[in-house]
Amino acid sequence: MADPCKPRHLKFRLYLRVQPTVSDAVEEWPVSESGAAQLEDFDAVVRIHRPKIFRFALASTYDRDAAETLTQDCFLKAYRSREWFRGDSSVQTWLMQIAVNLVRDWARNRRLQFWKRLRTAPEPDSVKDWMPDRELSPEGQAMVREQVAAVWAAAGRLPERQRTVFLLRFVEDMDLLEIAAATGMKEGTVKAHLFRALEAVRGRIGRKK
Amino acid sequence: MKRHLSDLQIAAWMTGERTAGEQAHVRECAECGAEVARLESAVAAFRGSVREWSAGAAGRPSRARSRAPHALRLVFATALLAILAGVPLYRTAERQRQAAQARADALLLEQVDAGLARSVPAPMEPLLSLVSGDIR
Repeated sequence: MADPCKPRHLKFRLYLRVQPTVSDAVEEWPVSESGAAQLEDFDAVVRIHRPKIFRFALASTYDRDAAETLTQDCFLKAYRSREWFRGDSSVQTWLMQIAVNLVRDWARNRRLQFWKRLRTAPEPDSVKDWMPDRELSPEGQAMVREQVAAVWAAAGRLPERQRTVFLLRFVEDMDLLEIAAATGMKEGTVKAHLFRALEAVRGRIGRKK
Repeated sequence: MKRHLSDLQIAAWMTGERTAGEQAHVRECAECGAEVARLESAVAAFRGSVREWSAGAAGRPSRARSRAPHALRLVFATALLAILAGVPLYRTAERQRQAAQARADALLLEQVDAGLARSVPAPMEPLLSLVSGDIR
């Protein structure tokens, strides 16, 4: 017999291995019906936002298994905290805030597990197989591939905060205010991190001027 | 705006902060225009690669849950079978080896005994040839 206390719309699969130390970034959000109403159909929230959260986790960790776990943890945490979502920011920004904290905790744990820090770049085939604009000449495609590899390399060497800001801005297309809300930084700090990240990327792809 | 864009201005350009003067300069200055275009193109290509990688990774089964069982289970099962089949063979071979060793030891002991066994004390041995056969 089905458990009557179990929410019926919580269809996403939850893994048993939950990260032991996750930040409680969302617990200070006050209660609001309007915000909670946006999360009423939580299944739809998962369906809509999962690819974005997974992509951010994957690009941050370079580890598919870790990204899947972090994504599940993110939605689990969001579900448990949905009553505190006030709706001041968008659902996406709120979810990204949780994801950023989870990735930060994951990176902190990873620093302690030095034997696992072997992978510092994405799966090579993923970048090599990526096909830029097919209308480009073979030379043009090769050049773009080179650029992509250089940006990957630069992003992989960025400090955690700079990488997070870089990914949120240039992969997730979030504006500075959204990034500030998701990372808990001031807008000026976000800008400073972004500028430094861009400098590193420019240095890697080779500045012409 | 005559001077080229500074690093800071280029970074600001990438974040969407650009003045009318900067926009006019980028239109007119081939060098700055090329630099901005190059950076924009690299970032756009990076975005494309991340999205493609993510879409591909999301569709594939996890390594931990798929690849490992097929490969590792096969290896473990083969190793287990080899061990199970090898134990009786090893025991039989070990028994045969011990029996052969025991036979060799017994033969050696016999040879030693034969070498050491004397019917008379050593100083009297030359006299044996003088003694007639029936006495012996």
